[in-house]
This record gives sequence, structure tokens and C-alpha cells, in this order.
Amino acid sequence: MYLKTFRRSASVIALALAMPMAVTTTAQAQTVVNFLAEAADFVYAPVIEAFEAANPDIDIRYQQVPFEDLNAAIESRVGQGDSSIDVFAADTPRVPAFASRGYLPDEEANRERIEAAVPNPVDQEQVSWEGKIHAFPMWTSTQLLFYNRDLLEQAGIAEPTPTSPDDRLTWEELLDLAKQAQDAGAEWGFTFQQVDRYYQLQALYESAGAGPGLTGEGLLQPDLTNEGWVQTSAWYRDLYEDGIAPRGVSPNQTNDLFINGQVAFFYGGPWTFGRFEEAEGLNYGVTYVPYFEGGEPVTATGSWALAISPHAANPEAARRFVEFATLTPEGALATTESNPLPPVNAEAYEQWREKIAELTPKVGPAIDIITHELQNTAVGRPRTVGFVAFETVMNRVFSDLRNGAEVEPTLQAAEDQLRSQLARIR
Amino acid sequence: MNNNATMVRTSLTVLCAILFALPLWWVAVSALRPENDIFRYLSPLSWGTLLPLNFTLEHVVELWSGPFRLAIMNSIIVTTVTILVGLAICSAAAFALAIIDFPGRNIVFIVMVVSFLIPFDAIAVPLYQTMRNLNLQNTYTGLVLPGIGNGLAVFLLRQFFLGIPKELREAAMIDGMGWFGVFWRIYLPLSVPALISAALILFVFQWQAYLWPLLIAPAPDYKVAAVAIAQFSTQYDVNYALIFAAALFISLIPMVILTGFQRGFSASVASTGGKE
Amino acid sequence: MQQRNKLLVAAAFLAPAIIAVIFLRIWPATSALHESLLAPGETTYSLENYAYIFSDPVFLRSLQVTLVFLVVVAPLQIVIALALALLVNAAIPFVGLWRAIILLPVAIPQSVSAVVWGVAFRPDGPVNAVLIAMGLEPMRFLTSAEQAMGSIIVIVSWIGVGYWMTFILAGLQDIPKSLYEAVRIDGANRFQQFWYVTLPQLRRPLTFVLVANTVANFLVFAPVQILTSGGPQGSTNLIMNEIYTRAFVSGDRSSAMAATVVLVTAVLAVVLVQFRMMRSPEDKGI
Repeated sequence: MYLKTFRRSASVIALALAMPMAVTTTAQAQTVVNFLAEAADFVYAPVIEAFEAANPDIDIRYQQVPFEDLNAAIESRVGQGDSSIDVFAADTPRVPAFASRGYLPDEEANRERIEAAVPNPVDQEQVSWEGKIHAFPMWTSTQLLFYNRDLLEQAGIAEPTPTSPDDRLTWEELLDLAKQAQDAGAEWGFTFQQVDRYYQLQALYESAGAGPGLTGEGLLQPDLTNEGWVQTSAWYRDLYEDGIAPRGVSPNQTNDLFINGQVAFFYGGPWTFGRFEEAEGLNYGVTYVPYFEGGEPVTATGSWALAISPHAANPEAARRFVEFATLTPEGALATTESNPLPPVNAEAYEQWREKIAELTPKVGPAIDIITHELQNTAVGRPRTVGFVAFETVMNRVFSDLRNGAEVEPTLQAAEDQLRSQLARIR
Repeated sequence: MNNNATMVRTSLTVLCAILFALPLWWVAVSALRPENDIFRYLSPLSWGTLLPLNFTLEHVVELWSGPFRLAIMNSIIVTTVTILVGLAICSAAAFALAIIDFPGRNIVFIVMVVSFLIPFDAIAVPLYQTMRNLNLQNTYTGLVLPGIGNGLAVFLLRQFFLGIPKELREAAMIDGMGWFGVFWRIYLPLSVPALISAALILFVFQWQAYLWPLLIAPAPDYKVAAVAIAQFSTQYDVNYALIFAAALFISLIPMVILTGFQRGFSASVASTGGKE
Repeated sequence: MQQRNKLLVAAAFLAPAIIAVIFLRIWPATSALHESLLAPGETTYSLENYAYIFSDPVFLRSLQVTLVFLVVVAPLQIVIALALALLVNAAIPFVGLWRAIILLPVAIPQSVSAVVWGVAFRPDGPVNAVLIAMGLEPMRFLTSAEQAMGSIIVIVSWIGVGYWMTFILAGLQDIPKSLYEAVRIDGANRFQQFWYVTLPQLRRPLTFVLVANTVANFLVFAPVQILTSGGPQGSTNLIMNEIYTRAFVSGDRSSAMAATVVLVTAVLAVVLVQFRMMRSPEDKGI
């Protein structure tokens, strides 16, 4: 037993030692570009492969860091002037903070080319800070309302088949349907995919006309106690108080509620198609997300951009890679091959939409919904250097509301906390 | 001890072990069932809650054929080196602090105590800058170093050395044995259980280390298991099946080693005799 | 032997550890102290960061939560660890296996332990399923400001109790059997044997466990970060979670470093008191 274990580990060590050596011998004549991002290896593999095939003199080395820690990694490496990172992925709401601290170079020289490849002004704004472009926009995101056909049928509810974006459901109508589905046996009526997260919930407040929660110069003043915020927060709290949506389920486990037929309506983004399509026996459709009566329809948006580190060891090679992955249609499309988020590159989007259009016979016109929302209802997160501090506090507020905290004291405490925190950022 | 008492004690022990093992059992079962089944049988309780009704090795195979295999080897290498070097350094320091009466002993001991009061995560960034200046990024040395000077292990060994009767040492020194001889031939052989405990401290520090390896060694060749496991969760999606399969490997290896360590304890029971 | 000679010998034994500890812990910590004295965007030392955290209700609440947590969790874990150590300190079949299983949770990445317990404690999860099967009311666990801290205590104890048990076990096995025989001849019962032999003989290992356990619990944060982010309503916002959030999430490093200095000072004070309490006449120094 002991010997067997030993021999096995010895052979693995030999393998481990041999592998890096093999890499170095082939890589000798190449320029190395170190690329730091949060997505799984397989997400960037197609674009790296395509780029390296076209540029045999460049070797892209991908380093993955989990989402929660990417910020710590960027702060401690790019922020400290480390030249071992050439390219990194930047979450678009973080662009202002990164740009103001000098982690992102000025890319104004490329404005025309970026605008030509990515014509949607919402997407351009996502990589800008104080009127200047600081990164290359790559992907975006949007929201759809998913429903479980079997649970709706069981409750005798007619499918909310999308005919046009103008007759989307109101929240009031949706919650009535959700309760009906629950009365007919569904465990839960409705859930947000990203419960407790500002990313998805901002749209509620924007749709109710309450604003993003920040105001003033540079968006550094909290604005959480206006009437719209109080009312919408009470609405969110009641969703859980009334038992329509589940407490205590983390955002990462909501997909499974829908897959296992435990929830009738599900508010999610295109990234959920991956798992839903794999789930056997899941019979579902999609429609436009609801809005508050008297308000505007609003959807969350924003995703990742690629940035060149100002301290990059090989900035020229890094630039070739980033431009390939964002400004050329074939590169932009390759970044979405193993990743269900839409590319912002307009030409790539046209090809991407054909892929998603294949879903239409099964789930309804998902691609028409996505295209419409991206063009007409998308509202990005507030462009401010204080965004991360703000988001952290807000995620706690939403979590407390979901768990039944009193609305006004919770919002007031968050506002006080933000006022002193944001004052330190200026 | 009579038979009845042994029976009661054994049953109680097994019951406690089962209570501690249940969450781990669920991890193992989740690793061996299809991804969509993981959260399917939570409530009400049924056979499916604790048994993999649709057994599959898919995730284990997927995990083992990917880069995780290299990561767990890295963890084993880094942890083993840390334990060996750390034990040597810490036991020598503990010996001096417990046995040799030298001026400034209290100050040194206080420095040791303060060193384990400092939350390591809070100082990881400044330490990273130093290590970067020494070019220790993406090296085993960079991974191992923070684990070797462990104030807690020094403290534990010092506590144990204080309990060894000083007559043993005095007799040996009269016979002409030097300080190193006393340390090597008398204190260390008498301290096997304490050395195992100190090894446990060093092991847990390194096996659980997360933020430090993430900063100092993000390159795929030097990735350790605790970092590799975190990468199955991305912003929009968490692959629980692979996380649980990885947790299975990460816990099985210590399970084997710990069961071995326990033999060290049992041997010590035999030599000093049970207490009842 | 001469003092000078002794000092040289001691220096030889201590040098590697001292160098490691100073280079890898103390020195980076002084840079934390340095940062804590610089207000954001300033280059001269001031106490502004300290003034800020001590006027911040969130930080003050987290200090209070941490102290309450410690007062409960440290004695609880030590008593359970001691009881478990006494239980498994006997020649029963496969004893090494049972001990290893009880110790195992400490070897699992805390992120995984947190996920498993998060699922167990879901309102629609298996723990409530057991309660319902027994005819009891389901509980809210991590979703209620009253029960969340209790749930966190269960989780960190599940992780840590086996670890502390191991140190006590090593101490138990070091107690000479002859001591028990001596008091048994005097007619001591089980409890008296425990009170007059076991406990006094465990003084050194227990000092270690008390101090190390207190320090470890002061620094708990992975389960909190993953499961509650300090909520509901700040009820589980342990100080390390507060520091980590400030430093790595909100990007306010200077106030995080000030909070770290406060934390280390607090732990040092508690630990010194513990050393005094557990000191015996024959030990010199602290």
C-alpha cells in the first residue's frame, strides 16, 4: 500500500517537473503576455488559441483568480506597479475606481476604432471615466424572465408569451401569477437569480423612478431614504415576508431551484441558458422582465472589459491581443464561444444572435428580447469611484431586507454609513 | 475497564464521529451524483438526501483529468516541506525558550506570542511586496516561507518541554552531553506527541492557506489545491459538483495521514499506560 | 555555565525562528501600523483613521459582536474538546479512525465547510427537515438576526473542536498512570480523580488551548464572509470580516489597518490576562 502510493506520487512529480520545462523550451523565442481574469480556463481558451494561431510569436499565459479575489489581486499586483501582469479583465462598474487610481491607461487614442466596433453608447460608457475611455469593452449582460411551463400549466396560467415589449407584465400582475402557481403546488412563486445583489436589483428602483441610490457630484452622496427607495424596498422585503420567494438561498443556488421545478418564475440573465439547456426534463420559456406600473421598463447591464496594465512588461504584444479579442469580429466571437454572454462588438453580435436564435422554437424569442433590452432598457451601474464601497453596503441592505429587517431604519443606517465611507474616498 | 463501560464508551465515540462525519458524507455523496441532483433532495428527508441515487463518477473523472491533479500535488509538496523545515526551526526555538535561562528570554517569547496574534491576511499585501522584491513569485520557496516560523507551534512545544523533568537534563550534562545532545537525544524523543501536535499546526496553516498562495503563486504550475477549488466558482456560476469532488480529494489525503498520526498517539498511550 | 555562553547557545537555537518570525510577521505588521497612521491621501502621521473607526457604528458594533462571540465560543469549544478528549482517550476498537474523523473538518477548505453548512441551514434545508420530522417548528438559522450567531458558532465549533481535542489528548496521554493509582488508594472517585489529577496535570496543554483557541476565534472570518457577510443586520459581523471587507472589498486599506492594530492590541491584552491566570508558581516569565 505504502509503496504503491509512493510510486504513484513519484510519477506525478516527474510529470509536474517535466511540464513546465516543455513549456519553456517551446516558448523561448516568444513574447509572453500574462493575462489575469476571473473566468474559468475554458472561457478564454478559444480566443487565446485563435490569437496564438495568428500570432505565433506571442504566448498568452492565462492566470485565473476567483471573482471575489480578483480585486485583491489587481490591487496588490497592478496597483503596486508589478510588471508581471500585461492584460487583465476589468468588471465595468470598477472602471472608474481603477482609472482614478491609475491602474488603467488612457485609451482615448483608440476611441474611433472602439466606437466603430462597439457602436452602442451604453457599452462605451461602461469603459469610460470622466469622459475618457480606459479599457476595451468585451461583453455585456441583460435580463429575461424565465418561467416553468409545467408549473404554469398545473396552475392553469396562460403562458406570458412575448408578443411585443410594450405589453410586458407589471410586477403586480407577475406576483399575482406567482401566487396562483404557488396555490397550485409550486414551492415558490418567484425568485431573482442574483438575490441580494445590487447588480440585478438596481433595475427595480430605476423602474420605480427612485434613482440608483447615489447622487451629487461624482455620485458620492447616498440617496437611499427618498420615498421611492422606501416603497420599493418595502416591496422587496414583502416578497420574502409573504413567502412568494425563498429566504436563505444564496445567489449561487437559485439556478437549482428553477432546474428542480421548485420555482415558477425566475429573473435571470443569458448566462443561465447553459445549465438550463443541460437539465433534462426542464420545460421552460422566456419573456420580457416586468416593470412597475407607471414606471419605465429597466434592465441591468454591464459585464467585463479587457484592460492593458500601465506597468505591462510587453505592452505592444498585450495590445495586439486585447484588440484582437475586442475589436475584431472573429476574436470577439471567440470570447463568447464557451460563454453565454453577448459580445458588444456589433459584427460579432450579429453572428452570436444566430446561435441564440436556435433556442427560439423551444423557449420563445430569447434573442429578440435580449436585443431589445440591450438597445432600449439597459441602465448601467452608477459610474463612480465609490461604486465598490457602495455595492458592498447595498448587498448587505438587500440581504437584511430579504431577512425581514425594518425598511426605514435599515436604509437610514446604510445612508449614514455610506456618507462617512464615501467621504473618505474623495 | 469492564466490558459494559467499553461498550458505552465505544457507542458514544462512534455516535460523535458520525455527527462530525455527516456533513462530510454529504460532500462525498454530492460529488458522486449528477450536478442537478445536488440540491434536489434537501427536504423532506428521503433516501436521496444521503445516498447518491444516480451514482456517477463523471465529476471525479473530470476533476482528476484536469489541472486539479497538479494542484493537489503542489499542496502536498508545499505542506510536507513546511512541516519538516517548520518542525526543525520551531522545536529548536522552543527548546531555547523552555530550557536555557538566558537574558532577554521574556522579550523573545513575547515576540513569538505577538507573531501569532497578527492576522496573516491583514499583512499579506506588504509581505507580498517584499517577496516580490526577492523574486519569489511563483516558486515553492515563496509558498513555503510564511508557514515555517510558526509562533503557535513554538508556544506549544515550549509548553511541552517545560513539563519534562529537568533532572534528566542535569544528569545528561553531568555525563558530558552538550546542549544539542540534550535537545536531540533527550527532548525530541520524549516529545513525539507534542511534535505531532506541532506538525498538525503547521499542516493546518499551510493546507488551509488561501489568500497567500493566490497572491504569490497564481501561475498554473504552482497553484495549490485550496486556490484551485475556489476557481470552480465564477461570477455567474458555481460548479458545486466539481467543488465537492475536489473537497473529497482534499479531505481524503489528510484522512489517511491523520489516521496514521493517531498511531503515534496510541503508541504513547501504550508506553505511559492508560489512565484508568 | 557562564551567561555569555548560554546566550550564544540560545541564539543558535533561536536564530532561524526569530529571523522567520520577524521577517514574515512582525516586519510586515509594522507596515500595517505605518499605513494605519496615514489618513487617505495624506503623507503625515495622524490618528484620523482611528478617530474614524471609533466613530463608525459599524465598527463599534463589530467589536461588540466579536467580544460576545468570544465569551461564548471559547469556553464552549474548550469544554467540548476536553469532553471529547476524555471520551476517546481509551483503548476502544478503531480509536484512531474515530479520532481522525472528529479532527477531519479542520483539514477541509473553510470555503467548502461554509457551503455545506449554508445548505444544511437553509430554511428549506435538511436540518429543518429533521426538525419537521420530529414534529418541531422549523427554524430560521442564518436568516434571522437572533439565530445567525448561534449558527455560526455551531459551524466554527464543528470545524475546530476536533483540532483542540487533539492537543488536550496529547496532554492526557502524558499524565503518569501512577498519579491515578496514588489517589485511588486514597479512595478518590471518578470525579475526584478528574479534579485532583487530570485537571492540574493538564494545566500546560490547557493554557496552550485556551490562548490558541482565543486567538483563532478572534480571527474567524471565512464562514462569516461566505454565509452572512456579517448580517443579518450586523449580527455576525466579526471583526476579521470587517477588516477584510474594508481592505479587500471596499478598498479602504488605511482604516482596515487601523482596525487590525486595534484587533492585535485587544488580542494581546486578553492573552496576557490568560497567561497570568494560568501561571503556576514554578513558571518564570509571563
